[in-house]
Amino acid sequence: MSSPEYVTLVSGDGFEFIIPRSTACVSGTIRRMLDQSSNFSEAITGRCVLENIRQVIKTIGVVLEKVCEYFCYNEKNKEQANVPDMDISPELCLELLMAADYLDT
Amino acid sequence: MAAMRARQKIRAPRRGLAASKPDDFDSIWATLAASLREIHTKNASTLSFEELYRQAYRIVLISRGEELYENVKQLEKKWLCSEVQKQVTAAISPSLLLEQEPADAQDQSNERRAAGERFLNALKSAWEDHQLCMGMFTDVLMYMDRVVSSDHRNPSIYVVSMALFRDNVLRSPVRPDSTTTIADVLESTVLFMIQLERAGHQIERPFIRHCIYMLEGLYETVTEEDSSKLYLTTFEPAFLKASQAFYQAEGRRLVEMADAATFCRHASNRLKEEEERCRYTLCSYTEPKIKEVLDEELIRKNIAEVINLEGSGAKEMLDHDRLDVLRNVYELNARVDKKKTALTNAVQKRVYEMGREINAASFAVSQNTAPKPGEKEVAAAGGEKKAGRDKEKEKPVNQQTIAAIQWVDAVLGLKKKFDNIWEKSLLSDQGMQTSITTSFSDFINMNSRSSEYLSLFFDENLKKGIKGKTDSEVDALLDNGITLLRYIKDKDLFETYYKKHLSRRLLMKRSVSMDAERQMISKMKMEVGNQFTQRIEHMFKDMTISEDLATSYKEHIAQSGDPDQKRAELEIHVLTSTMWPMEIMASSSTKEGMVQLPCIFPREVESLKHSFEQFYLSKHNGRKLSWQPSMGTADLRATFTRANGKVARHELNVSTYAMIILLLFNEVPTGESLTYEEIQARTRIPDHDLIRNLQSLAVASKTRVLKKEPMSKDVKPTDRFFYNADFTSMFTKVRIGVVSGGGNKVENSDQRRETEKKMDEERGGTIEAAIVRIMKQRKRLVHAQLMTEVLTQLSSRFVPDVNMVKKRIESLIDREYLERVAEEPPTYGYIA
Repeated sequence: MSSPEYVTLVSGDGFEFIIPRSTACVSGTIRRMLDQSSNFSEAITGRCVLENIRQVIKTIGVVLEKVCEYFCYNEKNKEQANVPDMDISPELCLELLMAADYLDT
Repeated sequence: MAAMRARQKIRAPRRGLAASKPDDFDSIWATLAASLREIHTKNASTLSFEELYRQAYRIVLISRGEELYENVKQLEKKWLCSEVQKQVTAAISPSLLLEQEPADAQDQSNERRAAGERFLNALKSAWEDHQLCMGMFTDVLMYMDRVVSSDHRNPSIYVVSMALFRDNVLRSPVRPDSTTTIADVLESTVLFMIQLERAGHQIERPFIRHCIYMLEGLYETVTEEDSSKLYLTTFEPAFLKASQAFYQAEGRRLVEMADAATFCRHASNRLKEEEERCRYTLCSYTEPKIKEVLDEELIRKNIAEVINLEGSGAKEMLDHDRLDVLRNVYELNARVDKKKTALTNAVQKRVYEMGREINAASFAVSQNTAPKPGEKEVAAAGGEKKAGRDKEKEKPVNQQTIAAIQWVDAVLGLKKKFDNIWEKSLLSDQGMQTSITTSFSDFINMNSRSSEYLSLFFDENLKKGIKGKTDSEVDALLDNGITLLRYIKDKDLFETYYKKHLSRRLLMKRSVSMDAERQMISKMKMEVGNQFTQRIEHMFKDMTISEDLATSYKEHIAQSGDPDQKRAELEIHVLTSTMWPMEIMASSSTKEGMVQLPCIFPREVESLKHSFEQFYLSKHNGRKLSWQPSMGTADLRATFTRANGKVARHELNVSTYAMIILLLFNEVPTGESLTYEEIQARTRIPDHDLIRNLQSLAVASKTRVLKKEPMSKDVKPTDRFFYNADFTSMFTKVRIGVVSGGGNKVENSDQRRETEKKMDEERGGTIEAAIVRIMKQRKRLVHAQLMTEVLTQLSSRFVPDVNMVKKRIESLIDREYLERVAEEPPTYGYIA
């Protein structure tokens, strides 16, 4: 089974983000999740549902959107020096930190 | 301000975590454990990674990561013990356990092999499953690993699970009641397979390869240093040990049964095989080690024996130019010994032996054809001193000349052969070259006549050999000769002979090409140095100067207006006496210690001689010219009046002495004769020269210008000589050579002694000069040191005899050039 080029990330509150597989694999967690050889259900469907963890991680749409933005940003600037900072609003800061920890990004 | 406001909006994140209920862990673990078991049974596709991950994450967040870690360990251990171990042991059939002696397994090898393959396959799949599952575990439990392993410095769950596999599968007993572990079975099985392969069977390499991968992937310790790989700690030593025993036996067997070529081919094949085995079946780490075992057991222990094998060893290979086999031997030898001692010795010995054979052969050629007196009329003339001995001598002398040329050719052939071998089989190895060179030098110098032979070889080639050859051929020929010269230690002896032979070539115009002569000299100069060729070059210079001199003399005569039509033409060589070989300069007269009066020239020649002397001395004041008729030649126009009144004219090319003799007969009326004694009295030609010339004039059948009475081969003082009016020849121009005088031949023993004596004297002078040179520089020197320095200084010319050097030092002390300044150690001082 060849890996489809795009995968779907689903936020806890139901937003879906379709991004290139390679981009999503910036996250260690998602990369493992999609690993063909382990053959988990996510790897088969190409659809990662990121559930909220009670009171801890809220992968609500806004956060996941920012995460996806970061994925792309990371992908784009992978091999460059002096990359401009990403614009992150203070409100999202902590949520993003938690998500980053969780997603091993 | 904005920042302040922003901060207020950030909520503290983990509030409420502490409040999670303790039973959360148990329930989460229960689901997690169930899922992990699913993974074991390969049902991962029904599971959501995200879910598992989230559960592990939560456990870690409620600070129960440690427990999770331990639980997973327990779970895995249980799984390995109950399931995997059983699977693997089930694949072990009794035949695998039976023999520990792989050697006697031929009869049941097929059965055992099948069983082994089954076992390896089972183990391989168990291992692969384990690896895969553990990979998945690790992925799922990544978050736990990140926290637990890094915080508490625990090995990661993957490493731990590998260790579990090692302990609970590999190191578990095959049967509950036996001490044999699965690892032991694995080891013996793999070794058995390799044994099969070495015996020429096909085996399933991939199975072994995978099991080896497994051993490579497992470590003795959880820190996983490279050196603690199970492969390196358990399997490899066993493998090397088995191989050692195997090759030891094989080496013995091969040496006893096979010939050297087979041994070498076999050994190289084994090397290749093992290399391939390491690459495709085992592990590349082992390659250098197994090769070492091979080198040690198969090669090092046997190579010397193989090289010296009777009938097929190095000797045989060298003799039959088996280049590829020899190359094989060389490579094998080079593996175990940087210096290649065994092969070097063998080659050296063989070169030496072959050289000795050549020496012996040439000696045999020169001796075997024992003189057969009176065999041929023509050969009757010749020899050096007494007519009686000459007949017997003439032939062996020629024979020896041939022997000399043959010797050089043979040596060159040998050299070429070994050069070829060296290049093709010995990979142009430096050390080898040195030892070959040494051997050559050894046997060449063993032949005491090598210098003379070599010089004769050059003589022969420069006289005849290079006719009709291209420049490059000549060049190669000379180069070959020069190579031999390099081996000769007594280069001064060679120089003496070369000068002697060269002078004959130059004076008698026997040299084919002056270019080749010059080329030869420049080659020698490059090879041996300036000093060596100095005199030889001077000889050439003398020749050139003489030419100019002759020309200017001719002009002088023309100008002086003495149009004497009958005047003979003169071509003269003025030679510097110190540069030209002594025996030519100081003819034979000095030999007997009595003064030989200069020979009497006929009137015509005498006036010519006088005129030239005047001319020369007017140009170069204070020089002394001494005439050497023994080396010259003359062209005569002779008229023979036949009995029937007809007149035959011939141009005779004769030696100067013969010319003098013939001119005598101008004054003798027809029919009258001259006795030997009369001739001698009127010419004062030295005895042996006279005899030789008379022989060629009166005895040799083709050039009988004189008649002799009685008609015999020997010339006796009482013999009478007549003018032979009936002389006939097909040619107008007749060349009358002096019998055995002109050619360059091997010396007879008298001459040899002479040359050696002269050589010794010359060497004495050279040694003294060297001693004085060194002492002048050093002022004081210990005896031993002085000896070494003298020897090194002279080594390029000859190898001085130590006793001779000592004697020379004594003599220098007597003559007060040196003094003894200390006794212990003996030290000399220079007296200015």
